[in-house]
Amino acid sequence: MNLLSRISSVSFVCIIAVILSSCSEEEVTAPLEAVTFRNLNADYAPLVFNPGAPPSRPLETKKYTFFSFKTGQVVPNSDSASLKWDIAFRSTSIIFNSGTSGPGNAGVVFASGTFDEVTEAPEAGYSIDNSPTAFAVSSRALASGATPTNEWWQNTGSSQSTIVSPIAGRIIIVRLAEGGYAKMEILSYYENAPATINNTVDKDRFYTFRYLYQPNGGRVLSN
Amino acid sequence: MIFSISVNLLKAQEKFPVDSLRTVELQEVMVTATRNERVVGALPMPVSLISQSQIRTIGSLRLNDVLAEQTGLVVVPQVNGLGNGLQLQGFNPDYTLILIDGEPIIGRNTGSLELSRVAVGNIKQIEIVKGPSSSLYGSEALAGVVNIITDRPAPGRRLGFHTRYGTNQSLDMNIEGGVSADRMGIYLFANRYITDGYDLSPDSYGNTVSPFSNTTFSGKSFYKFNPSTELTVAGRYFEERQVLKFEVESNGSNVLTYGTGTSQDWNLNPVLIHRFNDRFQATARLYSTRFKTQTELNLERDQSLYYQDFFHQTFTRPEVVGEYFIQDKHILTFGGGHILESVNTSRYGDSGIQRQHTTYGFFQWEWQPSSRWSVISGGRYDFNSIYGSQFSPKFSTRYEISDRLSFKVSSGVGFKSPDFRQLYFNFFNSAGGGYSVLGTVVAQARLSELEAAGQIDSYLFDPSTLKELQAERSFSVNMGGQWKPTSRIDIDLNLFRNSIDNLIETQPIALTTSNQSIFSYRNIKRAFTQGLETTVNYKPSKHWQLSVGYQLLFAKDKDVLNSVRRGEIFWRDPQTLATQRLQPQEYFGLYNRSRHMGNIKLFYRNPDSGWEGSLRIIYRGKYGVGDLIGNIQGEIIPPSNLPGNSILDIHDDFIQGYALVNLSVGKTVKPGIRVQLGVDNLFDHTEPVFIPNLPGRLAYTSLSFNFQSK
Repeated sequence: MNLLSRISSVSFVCIIAVILSSCSEEEVTAPLEAVTFRNLNADYAPLVFNPGAPPSRPLETKKYTFFSFKTGQVVPNSDSASLKWDIAFRSTSIIFNSGTSGPGNAGVVFASGTFDEVTEAPEAGYSIDNSPTAFAVSSRALASGATPTNEWWQNTGSSQSTIVSPIAGRIIIVRLAEGGYAKMEILSYYENAPATINNTVDKDRFYTFRYLYQPNGGRVLSN
Repeated sequence: MIFSISVNLLKAQEKFPVDSLRTVELQEVMVTATRNERVVGALPMPVSLISQSQIRTIGSLRLNDVLAEQTGLVVVPQVNGLGNGLQLQGFNPDYTLILIDGEPIIGRNTGSLELSRVAVGNIKQIEIVKGPSSSLYGSEALAGVVNIITDRPAPGRRLGFHTRYGTNQSLDMNIEGGVSADRMGIYLFANRYITDGYDLSPDSYGNTVSPFSNTTFSGKSFYKFNPSTELTVAGRYFEERQVLKFEVESNGSNVLTYGTGTSQDWNLNPVLIHRFNDRFQATARLYSTRFKTQTELNLERDQSLYYQDFFHQTFTRPEVVGEYFIQDKHILTFGGGHILESVNTSRYGDSGIQRQHTTYGFFQWEWQPSSRWSVISGGRYDFNSIYGSQFSPKFSTRYEISDRLSFKVSSGVGFKSPDFRQLYFNFFNSAGGGYSVLGTVVAQARLSELEAAGQIDSYLFDPSTLKELQAERSFSVNMGGQWKPTSRIDIDLNLFRNSIDNLIETQPIALTTSNQSIFSYRNIKRAFTQGLETTVNYKPSKHWQLSVGYQLLFAKDKDVLNSVRRGEIFWRDPQTLATQRLQPQEYFGLYNRSRHMGNIKLFYRNPDSGWEGSLRIIYRGKYGVGDLIGNIQGEIIPPSNLPGNSILDIHDDFIQGYALVNLSVGKTVKPGIRVQLGVDNLFDHTEPVFIPNLPGRLAYTSLSFNFQSK
């Protein structure tokens, strides 16, 4: 069943490719490439343990780190009111350039599957940020045993120590600030994506994610 | 054969002294399976029995030591990482009823009953029935029943002392005495146990198990008004005191605390039996028990009070049971009773004293259509003031094809009532970002209060549909048989499947304006456990006995399994970060369940020379580890769940399988004087974080005196 649908979608893409190439033979469409962005710093600051009070991070800036799928680069904070960014990160909070977060038209649809299985962005159904009550992507952990709605991580630490583990198979399809589409999968929240996380040593708030950007503005997201 | 023995009800123990292995083998009788004394070998459900002589030979002191060596039983730490609870057929400790002389021990901590509260020095035998027994015992008898039968006065006079000293400065002392004539008798037992505990992680503050001491008194007496009327009165008092040293997290930083924890339980159990005639006898019993704990922790730095709590529970039950013999082929047992329970604890918030009561009736029909075929069917109806009514039927049958081969099948329904926590919790925890847990009885009112105060931001679940909790239920089938290829070999096999519905899970219901979650409970989870258990007993000669036991177990969450089958669960390779769809065969199952476990035990006992000894190898196969620190979900989240999902799959970390080797040797040097030496966990296997209830190597020596006169 899966295999069949994959074959048919592959053949469908082939047909499209054949039609396209026959229409304009000069244009060679380079295959889309999935890119892994490593160690995006989402306001890392060392924890300070205070006797008799919760630990704090005095050095944190409480600022988001902005990112553009088009350029594949971090966008300076001074451009936060522009359409130059699509997504921004600050600890486990992720916001999108839309609604209450920015002037753009960004939106999010979650898909369940492996990264490669998501081949097309849906036409509609995108949610946008509506601070403070509803963000497109929740900053909170998925409750144990619950079905995910808009959560991207779960706590695999004990009750005394949180380990932020991105939920496997959660693909975030992003409608971009300026239109156009990308898909992404968050892979790790810790610096250099260690295989086994020791949260007393490994620095948190460092995102590693894989993404694929469709430059032609279309909804096809397969390579 | 069964029935003639049961008619001679009160004589049974006198006729078949349990001390001699040979007579035990021929005449073992147990009461738990049918509530009346029946020959073990003829019962149509999976049962096992641990005799007093076996307990003595292995040198055990507490109930957990004995049960840990039985096939299919695992002694697991409680959710908070401490203590010893019983896992049976893959069920959590919450689902096995533990009885002393047919009456329940109360005082469960997060569902788990602390087995070490029970000293074994006064135990006549331990009876284990696997498979649901709610048809006779009501709530909690889902997985099975463990019934501890204490000694009763034996004819004549007796006096015994027993002392054992071993590793960790553990000293155990028993004194027991009895005097009995035809019409009346009394047996008293006292035990004192003191230990320094042990520390598996010396680098951290405090011990793994802090020093503690406990005292047990128990006794049983009988008086025969006439040959057909007898009154027995049994009682128990237990007290434990533990010195605590904990490093606790307070507002995110760690503080050192010290203090004491005490627990107490006591019970009284008068039972009146009257035989009206050869065909009818009735029993009236009144059981009343209390359980209390108290914890107090002070801060190391300024001695100020850091934490205290108390927990008081009561359970009182009058019950009347009749037993009626129709010809020689039928026995009808029927009875009814009423249970009054209360709990009062600081752990549930300011909920005060909470009460519930249950009225129940049951019947059982034992029928023997032919000399080779027996059928037992029955059922019980419980009506509870909180969760309503439950009907628990059971049916079992056994057929003997020949003297060497027999088959049995039993099937039944078990249930467990929602526990006090799930009903009455009213708890706010400021740690971990802050959250509240509300039991279903108090949830509606508390939510209305919060809403009126404008503290509810949004509902995640419509609280008006938060119905009253129902009991958790299981439907089970056990089938197997026994084959004796020769007179020296005895092979037992049992296949089991337990299908459990209505399991209670936390449900997030609302978010507060300060973004804190509020949880309550719902009947949402479904699971199954299935597998097989087999025991092979071989007696090569009069003095030697070899037994081999094995259990294969699959325990899975049905909903998770369905999600995996639908391809909705993924895992991420931590090295390559590649995500893949989890295949059904990669789902391992529930945490803390070993697929394979087994044991090899060799016993030697020579009454002529006085020598006895044992070698036991207990194996537990690999299993997934849960978070040992209880978390709010009440569910176990693994600390090292690598592949990005919260279920246990083959890509996760496991505790590797391990075997414990236990040895003992004893000699009766003179009649009534016995010396014993032993080592438990010979190769000093420990797992400080994940198996805190497994101390390292324990060596011990013991001495006992027994004087008896007719």
